[in-house]
Amino acid sequence: MVSAFLLSGFLITAFLMTIAKRITALIRTFRLQSLFLFLYALTMAVAGKHIELFVICVSILILKVGIIPYVLARIVRRINVEEDLGLIMNPQISLIIALLLSYFSYIFAHQIIPKALAVELATFVVSIAAICISFFIMVSRMKALSQVLGLLAMENGIFLAAVAITGGMPFFVEIAFSFDIFVFVIIIQVFVYRVNRLFTHIDTSKINSLKG
Amino acid sequence: MIPAKIFLLCGQVFFILLFAPLVSGFIRKVKNNLRMRKGASIFQPYYNFVKLFSKNQVVSKHASWIFTATPAIVLSSSLAACFLLPVFRPGLSLNTTGDLLAIFFILALGRFFLALAGLDAGSSFGGIGSSREMFISSIAEPAAFVSLFVIGMNSSSTSAAAVAGEHFFRVSTLLAGFAFFMVVIAETSRIPVDNQETHLELTMMHEGMVLEYSGRSLAIIELAISLKQIIFFTMLSWFLLPFFNDTQWQWLQFPLKLLVISMIIAIIEVSFAKMRLFRVVDYLGFAFFIALLAAVSACMGI
Repeated sequence: MVSAFLLSGFLITAFLMTIAKRITALIRTFRLQSLFLFLYALTMAVAGKHIELFVICVSILILKVGIIPYVLARIVRRINVEEDLGLIMNPQISLIIALLLSYFSYIFAHQIIPKALAVELATFVVSIAAICISFFIMVSRMKALSQVLGLLAMENGIFLAAVAITGGMPFFVEIAFSFDIFVFVIIIQVFVYRVNRLFTHIDTSKINSLKG
Repeated sequence: MIPAKIFLLCGQVFFILLFAPLVSGFIRKVKNNLRMRKGASIFQPYYNFVKLFSKNQVVSKHASWIFTATPAIVLSSSLAACFLLPVFRPGLSLNTTGDLLAIFFILALGRFFLALAGLDAGSSFGGIGSSREMFISSIAEPAAFVSLFVIGMNSSSTSAAAVAGEHFFRVSTLLAGFAFFMVVIAETSRIPVDNQETHLELTMMHEGMVLEYSGRSLAIIELAISLKQIIFFTMLSWFLLPFFNDTQWQWLQFPLKLLVISMIIAIIEVSFAKMRLFRVVDYLGFAFFIALLAAVSACMGI
């Protein structure tokens, strides 16, 4: 019952991320998506009474809703990145592609678990769709920061899939994973600063011109 | 038995008519309080109605019969749509005469005449308002209809009584409800699309259309518009807040749901800026794609 609300919110935020025109809007939407993920994991933890899942919920809340968006927003402020995101396609075409991706993810999910309950199927479809859409976000954006956000959103989708199928990954795997993501963001921060200092912008399509 | 039902139905429509301006007043009050202002009382729309109703009206000598007939047509179209809406008891509506799509089309009749009346008096602002209103409603309609079809698919009937009694909590219905929510914001001329509070010439849409009206006609049009707003909010409450539908407590949960939806609308109005007119295309286009996504998910069965 509550999970339907949270899942549709998760899917809508994935769609919003494909058309977000400004980097601050993208970060805000990512934060919202992480919040939906946190609430979903919390309902699962309450329903299944998994103590490990509670700890993971707290780690999602601290890392993905709190620290990571904050760090990314600070990068944006520090390097005065232009707000324009360098979209390759116009919003309508991106939305059509996202729609097709979610349909394909349904076909895929139906092949894997044909006899699932409606709720499990819905969670699995939404998570696969979120993974595919985030991948599309990474491909269709030219700025390094928006590609980072695509990767983080993809990790959200993967976590949702894990919760849907197994009720959460093993505890140590998940903790290591969150820590990995955190370290990744820190490294990306340093990396983006360096790219910015060397090339005075972070548009990755311009780095391609360095190839011989 | 049939006369008793008709008596109840008329009472329900009359109550909604009485209740409708209160929603506008409440939203205005919440907005003002969120902006740290005191704001007018929530009964201000009623005072406005009484004030306007007792005033003389001015009709341009170039205006035709359309101008004088429009207030009555708009009010009667809203009332007719109201008769199709089960509110206080499950099934208390003329549900054999029309469904959700009929509600939308009947309201479109009122809007059509408002746009004509805006053009009729020949003032330039009326023309701007009418053309913008038609522009917006023509791109809002696909999104609205696709989401209504999805809801019809999920409850296997587009009848308002069937939809109002459904316990949804399916991803597809909630997505369709979200798309319909975006449409409702455009249709009731709320902030990201239009601003009800301003009479600035360059930005007004709905206000531009009714600029020529005064006195009694204006009072009737405002009443009709608030009635249309309450109809849309009621439909939204079925799609987005499907708690305790189809129970004996429907008369109690109806005001509570309207309260929640009005609060959400007020918060959105305070926290967003009005969009440029051509950004509205992107906004409603997004609503359309969310509605399509809802259709795809309904086919998936989630």
